[in-house]
Amino acid sequence: MSDNKIDIYKRIDAYIKGSLSENEINELWVEFAKRPELLEDLELEVSVRETIKKKFESEIKKVSKITSLPSWTWHAAAAAVLLIVVGIQFFQVPSKSNLEQFLVNSIKSDQLETSDGIRSKDMMMMKADSMLNLGFNEFVNGNNRRALILFNEVISEYDYEPYGSKAYLNKGIVYYNEASYDSAITAFEASLIRVDDSKMIEEKAFWYLGNALANTQKYEEARTAIYQAYSLEGIFRKPAFLLLQKLNYDLGYSEAESAGD
Amino acid sequence: MDYSKFVFAVQHNDRVTINEYVPIIMSVLIKFLKVRQGAAHHDAEDCAQNTIINVTEKIKSDELKNPDTVIYYLFTTAKNEYYKYLNRIKEGNYDDVPNSFVSDGDQLSKLLNEERLKILERCMQLLKPNLKEYITHWFNHPRDEAAVVADHFNITVNNAWTKKHRILKILKECCEKKLAA
Repeated sequence: MSDNKIDIYKRIDAYIKGSLSENEINELWVEFAKRPELLEDLELEVSVRETIKKKFESEIKKVSKITSLPSWTWHAAAAAVLLIVVGIQFFQVPSKSNLEQFLVNSIKSDQLETSDGIRSKDMMMMKADSMLNLGFNEFVNGNNRRALILFNEVISEYDYEPYGSKAYLNKGIVYYNEASYDSAITAFEASLIRVDDSKMIEEKAFWYLGNALANTQKYEEARTAIYQAYSLEGIFRKPAFLLLQKLNYDLGYSEAESAGD
Repeated sequence: MDYSKFVFAVQHNDRVTINEYVPIIMSVLIKFLKVRQGAAHHDAEDCAQNTIINVTEKIKSDELKNPDTVIYYLFTTAKNEYYKYLNRIKEGNYDDVPNSFVSDGDQLSKLLNEERLKILERCMQLLKPNLKEYITHWFNHPRDEAAVVADHFNITVNNAWTKKHRILKILKECCEKKLAA
């Protein structure tokens, strides 16, 4: 495939993913006018995306589908469940082992947010960027205390975007790996309050917040956070889907999507 | 598509060439209005029709000659035709076409066609498992760069694009065969 063809397919791909600017979209439509066969490619890609999306969503519903039964069966089932629950309360401690299989055990260092690189406009790196990078280094070397000090410094001196959300996310990750889930939750929530224009940070914050909440048995809140991570359709979509299913099952929900209601 | 030929055909009243070009231009304009302006199919058809009439008149009166200008003029006129239509259905709430019009953004889903989706679903089931896995991964990870996908499947970035295109080509051919059957 020629470079020119690859370029146009890249632009179509970017268009579908919503990452083209208005000008780029207008330019692409001029290309479509010149080569209308490209519009067929666009239509095909949109259709393939839709087919895959539908299949994925039907899988979610299939997992949690409840078959409609006569009303008396619900009363009988409710009574039976009540008896079982009472029985379990007396004779057994509920096991959490299954849920733990779906939770993140430890967050890898590459999940930390560092600088975006040297900015082309002013060709300089902000001090906040350097501090984030230094914090990353400390974390990689196992110096969590030093890393936290650096992230806190970023927060106290540069609590505006993108630094605020990055520093809080990083703090949350450090706390999460130390199993200080309550502190991690506070940090992830602070990151979410600040994040302005980064779906990546937003997704990470929701995903790890959900995990931290699940680790502290706040399952309803965890479910909401995980659903947010899932809805962002990014890198955590699959694990979020699995964890969401598990939480739905444990909490007795029938529809995974209802978490967003 | 060579718009200079279209301009030449209109200027010389070459009906055969005009009839060859008009349905293609109509089709582009209809999709443009549906996707970019969120127009309903029927409204887009009407506006595209008016646009073609308007543009051919401009070409005949020698106001439009440059093929690139024709493309821009087609899109601008189509958009204005649609705004005018919206104004009309608002029963004259404002007299002139607004200078700016806020649309809901691109509505690519307007390109979807139920029949085509059903056929495509069958074609996807016929894909080899490794190709199916690849294309599913690609669309299930919309925020991944091609480099990330390439890395995931242990191939080069160029091959990642080529592979995606090859799968889409297989699907396109399969759909065409099934539609023709």
